[in-house]
Amino acid sequence: MVATGPGGGLAARRAVGRWAWRLFVREWRQQLLVLALIVVAVAATVVGAAAAANAPAPVDGTFGTAQDLASFQGGDPHLSAGIAALEHRFGAVDVIENETLAVPGTVSTYFLRAQDPRGPYGRPMLSLLSGHYPAGAGQVALTPALASELHLHIGDLWRQGPMTRRVVGLVENPQSLLDEFALVPPGQVPAPNTVTVLFDGQPVPARAIGSNVQGRAPANTNAFNPETISLAGLTVGMILIALVAVGGFTVLAQRRLRSLGMLASLGATDKNVSFVVRANGVVVGVAGALLGTAVGILLWFAYRPRLESSSHHVIGLWALPWLVVVLAMVLAVLSTYFAASRPARAVTRIPVVTALSGRPAPPRKVHRSAVPGIVCMVIAFFFLSWAGSQAHTGGGMKEVVLGLVALLPGVILLAPFCLSALAWLGRRAPVAVRLALRDLARYRARSGSALAAISIGVLIAVIIVIVASVRYANALDYAGPNLASNQLILYTPTGPGYTPPCPPGVCPKAPTGDQVQAMGTKAHAVASALGAQHVVELESMSASLSRNAPGRNWNGSIYVATPALLHAFGIRASAVSPAADILSMRPGLATLSNMHLDWCNQFAAPQNVDGKIFQNPCTTGGTSTPVIQQVGSLPSGVSAPNTVITEQAVQKLGLESQLQVAGWLIETAHPLTASQISNARLAASSAGMTLETKNDQPTSAQVVNWATVFGIALALAILAMSVGLIRAETAGDLRTLAATGAGSRTRRTLTAATAGGLGFLGALLGTVAGYVGVIGFLRSNSLEGGISALGNVPVRNLLLILVGTPLAATAVGWLLAGREPAVMAHQPIE
Amino acid sequence: MSFLELRDVSRVYGEGANEVHALQNVNLAVERGSLVAVMGPSGSGKSTLLTIAGSLEEPTSGEVLIDGRSLSNMSHNDKARLRRRTVGYVFQDFNLLAGLTAAENVSLPLELDGTGARKARDAAMAVLDELGLVDRAGHYPDQLSGGERQRVAIARAIVGERHLVLADEPSGALDSANGEAVMRMLLTACKGGVAAVVVTHDAQLASWAERVVFLRDGRVVDQTVPPPSPESLLEPSVQP
Repeated sequence: MVATGPGGGLAARRAVGRWAWRLFVREWRQQLLVLALIVVAVAATVVGAAAAANAPAPVDGTFGTAQDLASFQGGDPHLSAGIAALEHRFGAVDVIENETLAVPGTVSTYFLRAQDPRGPYGRPMLSLLSGHYPAGAGQVALTPALASELHLHIGDLWRQGPMTRRVVGLVENPQSLLDEFALVPPGQVPAPNTVTVLFDGQPVPARAIGSNVQGRAPANTNAFNPETISLAGLTVGMILIALVAVGGFTVLAQRRLRSLGMLASLGATDKNVSFVVRANGVVVGVAGALLGTAVGILLWFAYRPRLESSSHHVIGLWALPWLVVVLAMVLAVLSTYFAASRPARAVTRIPVVTALSGRPAPPRKVHRSAVPGIVCMVIAFFFLSWAGSQAHTGGGMKEVVLGLVALLPGVILLAPFCLSALAWLGRRAPVAVRLALRDLARYRARSGSALAAISIGVLIAVIIVIVASVRYANALDYAGPNLASNQLILYTPTGPGYTPPCPPGVCPKAPTGDQVQAMGTKAHAVASALGAQHVVELESMSASLSRNAPGRNWNGSIYVATPALLHAFGIRASAVSPAADILSMRPGLATLSNMHLDWCNQFAAPQNVDGKIFQNPCTTGGTSTPVIQQVGSLPSGVSAPNTVITEQAVQKLGLESQLQVAGWLIETAHPLTASQISNARLAASSAGMTLETKNDQPTSAQVVNWATVFGIALALAILAMSVGLIRAETAGDLRTLAATGAGSRTRRTLTAATAGGLGFLGALLGTVAGYVGVIGFLRSNSLEGGISALGNVPVRNLLLILVGTPLAATAVGWLLAGREPAVMAHQPIE
Repeated sequence: MSFLELRDVSRVYGEGANEVHALQNVNLAVERGSLVAVMGPSGSGKSTLLTIAGSLEEPTSGEVLIDGRSLSNMSHNDKARLRRRTVGYVFQDFNLLAGLTAAENVSLPLELDGTGARKARDAAMAVLDELGLVDRAGHYPDQLSGGERQRVAIARAIVGERHLVLADEPSGALDSANGEAVMRMLLTACKGGVAAVVVTHDAQLASWAERVVFLRDGRVVDQTVPPPSPESLLEPSVQP
């Protein structure tokens, strides 16, 4: 437009803004796509961030508002003196006494708890649901679940041993809904098992106060917390939306070209004219942000009870991460503002007379050079290389972020060049394909942003596919689900799955032979109740594998390849090499060099220094280079006996005396149900064992396949949103083609070639960019084994993205483009 | 002194073999209070003459003066201000902004110039009152008839202190009765001291002008003073 510079000030802006608002109100349906995308992105962020922030159990559930917690055994003769000492040293304390009682007729237990509801620190751990708190020796308040189990209501009498108490209220620990207890006033628990004292010992470190004292975990200072992860996801999502929105706003500006020309002919400056388009973007962003937040909050209201029930603590109705919500709204407005800025600038460059004529502006020349994009890619490559070189120290996260940030503009800047290259390559194609590819190149301002969005979607998927396959393929630091869904392991107290429930500094004693035998009997009873196919006793000893080379090192347990274990997994003794020390199903482990088997025959007594138990040193042991044989029949779970030491090696190393039963692996014919697991856990607990079942860790194939589906689906969704806009620009050409006798076949070919071309380029550019990033990260990354780790990349999935995306886009484009567009019927052929 | 003056104005589009001479050494002077009609076949350069006169386009050579000031010395910003304050446009297809009411369309140039919304609306209502459109002030363009739309466009072209109205086929999309009403309004504006240039194909309507300029192939080939038409002797009135 010819006019530039300021003019009219606030009054002009108000007038132009009013017009923009009216246009939005009149034409909001044409902006529904962008609006819907923003609403979905903001709503998903609100719900996702709220769920992620509220799901972890709050630390208040144990500490209340105290900074420190001291644990005493109920029968500790120094209990009173210890509490008095803490009170004398640190002032107010909150004493909570617990006695474990069994629910009559069941194996369930609950606590008889003495706690002051008005205590200085424990108040967040108590909430009165109905009635009132117990005030005297004859009163008690119950949690709802316990009241139900005991068939008691408010006003009923509760007889427990010699005591009779009246139920005066229902209470709960809002921080832990699994906490079942009967609340009595302080001092009313006759024989407490444990006594917890809450106090504020700051600034004295907890370990300096005593071995039985735990300090409150410091606030999460990790930069990668639920809020930042939600925002990072939102930012990437908004970049994709902004790239799609550029096309939408460009078409809208094109439709309003005459009006904008009119405005300029009345004396509106360039700023006024571009303000209309920008204001439109802001209005869409604000509307999307407000609607998205409202929808997100409504969804949160609906989802919150489920989350409360699954996370077992009370979550406030408005316990939303407000900073994330506000930032999500700001990001939504910013992304639409910047998406509208490009067409806003473009429209001011159109001469007024051309704008008034309403003729479509000639395609804007977009710089074809690939140099800026390549420069960004190179910068990204070096940042990621730098990050890779620091991976072994646990650092490099900032460099990873910077590398990914440089990778995105690289893709965006390379997109127009790729479109030109494709048009050049297709210069000898049939006319409809040639025209489609040429239109993509001619209108690069629009198709370039769509291509960039598709490429970024594919880039994310490719990075996930490659990184997951590299990580999962690491034979030393094994990743994946712990067990299969039809497996469970019962551990003895000293087995690998054991987590000490005792106060810090007090270690579990190894079970005696009789105890182990009793546990074994119980394990077989559990297996029998489950109808198990196999029960395998797991034996372990003090040997470990390691590798004398940089990178990830061994994790997981080494069990003994007993005949029973081999038989359970269908491994014949003749299949085991007599020279083998280790059998493993981990692919690649047998071929690794510098592997060491470290063992210990005899340990010195554990040392207790100031209440801290130090690792008992090995007095007699050694190291050897093991012969490792790969045996694919062993189970693949991380906690399962995927790597075992042969009995010959145990004898050779003199480790027979170190053998101890670690647990029992039970395998059933069908996946275990929740009630089966619950019953097994109760049975294990009653025998002093712990139980491990399948966790939620996905398998490598699951991650890779989901990422592949995500990449293809995202690319197709962006194509669905963009191809219509791109083809709308050339509606005039379509009418001309129709006038020259082109039929639905040509229309289908045009749309299919547009979609297929964009899909192919997007898949190619995204895959190349993904490889640039991953190669950069891996080439100097000793932790993951360097560039050779790329040998594990699932080529089939990458081919599916590269070939499947354009094929699907072409097919959908062909199928959906048969109908004659309305514009052909309503507008005369020019 | 002429309010609008074109001196040897030429406009060339394209280059080399594609060169098109839209205007060639056109000279034209329009005084305050006078109505000049421009006629000519399609492609003769009528619309180009109007857009150059209104500062929407730059001449390839020659000079355009409005109220004695040369447009060639003006910045883009000054030209925009000139369009807001001095020059009013009327287009064949009205070019009203669909999202604004009639009153808001009329007050738009004033608001763009920084006039407060209330004051601008008062001024717009005064002009609409003169043109008999007060009762349609709150209507949107798509709620108005063709004649009403063009009257709103004229109101927008003359609102404020405008002294030059440039109309490109203002009656092209109207029936004869409404076309004559539009010419009457322009004539009334001219009697108030406005200089007006009207491009038209219709000789009947051109006869309302004081002077008719004929263009062919970008050149002024004739200038005539038409005989007084019976309609021009009538008192200007508003066609309902």
